[in-house]
Amino acid sequence: MNDTYPQVLFKNRHPDRIATFEEYRAGGGYQALADVIARWTPAAVREIVLNAALLGRGGAAFPAGRKMMTIAEDAPHPRYVVCNADEMEPGTFKDRVLIHADPHLLIEGIILAAWSVQADRGIIFIRPEYENAARILEREIGIAGEHGYLGRDILGTGYSFEIVVHRSAGRYICGEVTAQINALMGKRANPKQPPPYLTQQGLWERPTLVHNVETFACLPHIVQNGADWFKSLARTAAGAGTKIFGISGKVKQPGCYELPIGIRLSEIIENCAGGMLDGSEFKACLPGGASTGFLPRQHYHVEMDFDALKKVGNRLGTGAIMVFDHKTCLVAATLNLMEFFARESCGWCTPCREGLPYIRELLARIEAGDGEPDFIPRLEEMKVHLYRSYCAFAPGAAAPLESLLAHFKDELQEHIRERRCPFNKEPGRGSAELVKPRFIA
Amino acid sequence: MPKLIIDDREIEVATGTKVIEAAAQLGISIPRFCYHPALGSVGACRVCAVKVLEGPAKGIQMSCMLEAVDGMQVSTADREAVEFRRYVIEWLMMNHPHDCPVCDEGGHCLLQDMTVSGGHGLRRFPGKKRTYPDQDLGPLVQHEMNRCIHCYRCARFYQQFCGYRDLGVLGIGNRTYFGRTAGGRLESPFSGNLSDICPTGVFTDKPSRFIGRRWDYQRTPTVCIHCSLGCHAVTSVRYRQVARQEARMSAAVNGWFLCDRGRYGFFYASRADRPRQAAIKGETAGMEEALAHARSRLEALAPAAVAVIGSPRSSTEVLALTERAARLRGWRGPAFFADVGAALKVKAAVSRLEAGLAVSLGEIDQADFILIVGADPINEAPMLALALRQAAQKGAGVWVVDPRPVSLPFEFAHIPTAPKALGAVLGRLLRKSIEPAGLDGPAARFHASLPGDPASGPELPARAAELLAASRRPIIVCGTGIVAAEWVELAADAALLLRAAQKKAGLFYVLAEANAFAAGLLTQLDSTTDRVLKAAAEGDIQALVLVENDPFATFPDRRLLEQALARIELLIVLDYLDTPASRRAHVFLPTQTLYESGGIFINQEGRVQYSAAAFAGGTPVRETGGRDHPPRVYGSGLPGAAPQPAGQLVARLAGEEIPIDIRAQREYFSEQASRLAGLPDTERLPPDGLRLALRNISAERFKSMLPPVPAAESDDIEIILTERTFGTEELSTYSACLETLEDETFAGVSRQDAEALGIRDGDRIAIRTENGAVELAARVCDNMAAGAMMIPRLRRLPWQTLGKSIRRRDIRKA
Amino acid sequence: MLPKEIKDRLEGEIKHVEHPRELAVDVMFAIQDHYGYLSDEALAEAASMLGMTPLELDELATFYTFTFREPVGKYVIHVCDSVVCWMNGYEPVRDYLCRKLGIALGETTPDGLFTLLPVCCIGYCDRSPAMLVNRRVHGELTPEKIDAIVEKCRHKAGKEVARY
Ligand SMILES: Cc1cc2nc3c(=O)[nH]c(=O)nc-3n(C[C@H](O)[C@H](O)[C@H](O)COP(=O)(O)O)c2cc1C
Ligand code: SF4
Ligand code: FES
Repeated sequence: MNDTYPQVLFKNRHPDRIATFEEYRAGGGYQALADVIARWTPAAVREIVLNAALLGRGGAAFPAGRKMMTIAEDAPHPRYVVCNADEMEPGTFKDRVLIHADPHLLIEGIILAAWSVQADRGIIFIRPEYENAARILEREIGIAGEHGYLGRDILGTGYSFEIVVHRSAGRYICGEVTAQINALMGKRANPKQPPPYLTQQGLWERPTLVHNVETFACLPHIVQNGADWFKSLARTAAGAGTKIFGISGKVKQPGCYELPIGIRLSEIIENCAGGMLDGSEFKACLPGGASTGFLPRQHYHVEMDFDALKKVGNRLGTGAIMVFDHKTCLVAATLNLMEFFARESCGWCTPCREGLPYIRELLARIEAGDGEPDFIPRLEEMKVHLYRSYCAFAPGAAAPLESLLAHFKDELQEHIRERRCPFNKEPGRGSAELVKPRFIA
Repeated sequence: MPKLIIDDREIEVATGTKVIEAAAQLGISIPRFCYHPALGSVGACRVCAVKVLEGPAKGIQMSCMLEAVDGMQVSTADREAVEFRRYVIEWLMMNHPHDCPVCDEGGHCLLQDMTVSGGHGLRRFPGKKRTYPDQDLGPLVQHEMNRCIHCYRCARFYQQFCGYRDLGVLGIGNRTYFGRTAGGRLESPFSGNLSDICPTGVFTDKPSRFIGRRWDYQRTPTVCIHCSLGCHAVTSVRYRQVARQEARMSAAVNGWFLCDRGRYGFFYASRADRPRQAAIKGETAGMEEALAHARSRLEALAPAAVAVIGSPRSSTEVLALTERAARLRGWRGPAFFADVGAALKVKAAVSRLEAGLAVSLGEIDQADFILIVGADPINEAPMLALALRQAAQKGAGVWVVDPRPVSLPFEFAHIPTAPKALGAVLGRLLRKSIEPAGLDGPAARFHASLPGDPASGPELPARAAELLAASRRPIIVCGTGIVAAEWVELAADAALLLRAAQKKAGLFYVLAEANAFAAGLLTQLDSTTDRVLKAAAEGDIQALVLVENDPFATFPDRRLLEQALARIELLIVLDYLDTPASRRAHVFLPTQTLYESGGIFINQEGRVQYSAAAFAGGTPVRETGGRDHPPRVYGSGLPGAAPQPAGQLVARLAGEEIPIDIRAQREYFSEQASRLAGLPDTERLPPDGLRLALRNISAERFKSMLPPVPAAESDDIEIILTERTFGTEELSTYSACLETLEDETFAGVSRQDAEALGIRDGDRIAIRTENGAVELAARVCDNMAAGAMMIPRLRRLPWQTLGKSIRRRDIRKA
Repeated sequence: MLPKEIKDRLEGEIKHVEHPRELAVDVMFAIQDHYGYLSDEALAEAASMLGMTPLELDELATFYTFTFREPVGKYVIHVCDSVVCWMNGYEPVRDYLCRKLGIALGETTPDGLFTLLPVCCIGYCDRSPAMLVNRRVHGELTPEKIDAIVEKCRHKAGKEVARY
């Protein structure tokens, strides 16, 4: 497979172990950093990233170069670079795989980004379930420092920068950048609406640049090979680079694959993931994590690109593809997702804190055979209202619900009409179990 | 100044105004829960949604987060916005208990109003309601978490606005909880505001539970008289019982809030043991009979043998009529202050607070540097601490020069300074931070006369001088409790000097009692309580008339008091409190509280404020009726309504028979105190009161004396009697709910003195005095000046026996 | 009281940073690992090290998934119940664990060994169904695998008890 698809981020990936510092360097690692620090201006780095059309890989797809450019040359110090390794979006595990494959790629990427905005300190914010990854990073950061890539006076240039690993205690909202900054400061991880923007007043009220793990990992390659090369990696004209797709669900070979942006969904499922499980037919997938919508069968051949997915009313998100088969009840799947969002809501704003449990309750009743026809218009209304929340969390939760209503309404109606889940072979599951919120504070 | 259109009506607003406020200016009230003018916008509840038709971000937006910009067009009635707001209400009601009929917030509940006005009458949500356990938060605030709608106002107020750190946000999602780590009394002395600020009934007023509902109450705008700030309140009365007090918004004074002393200090007015009947020799008598008796006995005496003592807790009307009575009859007095020192200080403050210098409490937060000399805000005038915090939050440096271990709910700097050295420190600081070049004659001469740093002795923190030098709007806050009169004058000259140095300097005095300012205007320096009592003890005075004064609570020399009372023939007490003095009176005449009589109080910045009468008086129905249900008594007239305004009673004691109306009273005091001339009718006082147009007394400017710091350390330890937030202000000590909040009795000593005396923190010490030993616990304070001992004037402590200083050898471990 | 070496280490780290609060999670984890959970006393101890009030630290302790304010078993099993694990057998795994341990979700076994909790996606969707035992992941769960994991914990705990 590696012959079919150029491997950039995964070029040092071994099936069973972590790429070492030496391996990384032997493959040209840290060359970009050495070049940049010796010969490039910070502005030149920002520019090449902009030209490479690198879109943030954390889910929001904001142009990385543009974000870097919002930190003014004369902005105050210390400046911070934060690597978002929270990765709590259900279905997403690419950052973990990337760190375990080639930690120095991430480290070099962070240093390059830091140089481009002349940052003084880097922080990797990592979820508690990734303790192994956290330890790997701490170890490899130490090694990079021993070789002069980190710390005081990097490579004798007078530029100093350090990276620390910050462990989270686990909450999905901590992945949202503004909430993450609060978490880093030892505050409750509620989001904070701009202005001020983080690049002006972020961590400790200083300019702060936050990117996803994968976004940082692209930087060394962009710097080394140029913007045009990076764009050429994609299959679509508008796209740029490769993307790490994490595929899970009803496929034969779930896992992480580095593939060109714009590759067709069908190709990913059939070529990389080994096709659907025996006896399973593709029904829908969430193309980019739990906060994207169900992509129905009619878009099976869609190009996995930010633009193309937008055109079919969906999002590439984190590129975490979760595949559902014809035997899976999507009402139950949506209920599960709503359970997740309701549990993880930070509780700051009303639509999310109260609206999600409301939606969850209605779906649970429908799934249990206690649904009423007037639940559907209410779901329709609330899915719109979720977009009026304080942060992007609740709109994310709206996506699966919205697509359920758009593409699978008959499935919903059938539940209500039949007063049972059509996928549930054993009747009488009863609503008691389902309606009871399962989360424990 | 952006111009925008809201609901087809145009309005121009100040730059930075949020749409929710712009709409309010048009009279359009957009629903809100999380937004509060004092706490700002956080966009949490989402009920203030409007539709932006024209503007930078179109569509549904939160009007509290949205800054008004030019050309914006907003609809509050747009269908989409209304629909969304309806949902917000429905969501908030999902888990809200339907207990409005028994909820103490019922009738003034924002959620109730919004639910009704938003038309959410029927429950559609099929699920169960979430429930929470409640916490016991102490005697003032009742907690009922199930009613919470998660607007975060309480935590934002408690932590950010007030700076206290024991109540906050716990949990996450729809399990988010507002409370403490464990139940227990709230540490903030501003906790009562939680019941005002909570838009539903999570935090309600505990002492007024089960007394009445909002619509049952007679609600009256009043002024708080539990310190000299004169915060604005609303008093609620039901069935002749003062039931509750809430904050009344006043931009010039207290903003939106009240301290707990002020909020809960009113219980003296409706106490069961309040004396409501006149008495002669302890035997109940009719008011007329008692008055006639008192008058005839007074008339039998030579006028010079009669002395009158009043107090700054009385309204200006009472003070003025007392003064007039004494003057008409040739009686001695009235004395309003304990001794010449105390009177001088207030006089100094009153005479030096010229119009250009005085700043109001509401203006404090505009300062960029605040120097506090000899004042302990949280204990002497709690709302001042809150105002100071707002200034500090905006970046002002706050420095305290005080011997006591002052604590404030924000970061500040403290220079522990012996009381005698306060002036010298202030002088040195001024000298250091102001360049003499550019000062004109008197200011320059004054600057030159300021002391420089002494060869030896403590170094002043250079930072303080730097900050003061760099400041543009400094404020000097000066206390009058432990501060000598010279320093009070010096504080005014300091502010003048800063003005001369081109700074917009302000002056803010803290006085000892609610109406000290008026008493200061009316007092004569030769009649103070100590002089009167001395004369009585020596047999020169035969009759004492105490007008709303309990010297047992306020006078610092108990021995002299006892000697005087033992010697006199006639003690006439006019009061509304059951005090040791009123119990010893030969003739007792019950007076009305401010809630019944109304009256003018002048706060520490010379602001004249009228507190309206809240009810006609009389014994609360719940007492008159025994435990009857419904309570009833038969008879004519109001039971327990004998008390009369103290001013009227003194006037009648002095032989004036005509009932005195308010206007006449006002004339009396304006005729007497020329600086009050031109005082408008109370009916015409603006809502925020009126600051007296105090004239500049240029002759006195830059004349404050700077006696040198006493060089030699004396062997004596100076006693500093201090206020506490709870337990020392006379009237609020009658509130049962505040009793458990009172501090332990203690003697504060510096670490240095403690070591020299061989005492450790918590040790019990015995202080030998002429009147026997006083035993109490020592509190060793790091941040305290040496050579002084801090004693709170708590009732449980016989502080009146301690005198002004103690010899070291009279202090030992008990 | 916290053993001196843990306390010294944490205080050293705290001294090292400009804003102690940023170490709140690290300190809570260290103290929780020692005491088993964040009791009121442990919370107060941690808070005072960080220059926070207990309430301020509690605001964080009650926010996060992996900080426990109530006693938990020696082994905390977090079973992932998010969408991929759900589709690949979360419910049977949960039911199996409940039966095996004799407890419901949210409960602790009477011997104080195991606490069973649901957790949302732990980022091992490619190896679902998955769970964590004391924050260590176990994927592709089957009854046999669960048996082995549980037995290993029991065995280890037994040995430790014997050692004391
Ligand atoms: C609720 C929520 C959770 C998020 N979680 C993550 C996450 O775990 N990791 C991540 O990189 N971005 C996450 N994001 C996106 C970030 O807010 C942000 O866009 C991203 O980290 C920026 O990096 P990028 O520009 O490199 O994508 C989340 C966003 C939301 C609204
Ligand atoms: S949408 Fe609101 S409640 Fe939900 S996570 Fe964002 S701020 Fe918190
Ligand atoms: S008042 Fe605007 S969101 Fe609450």
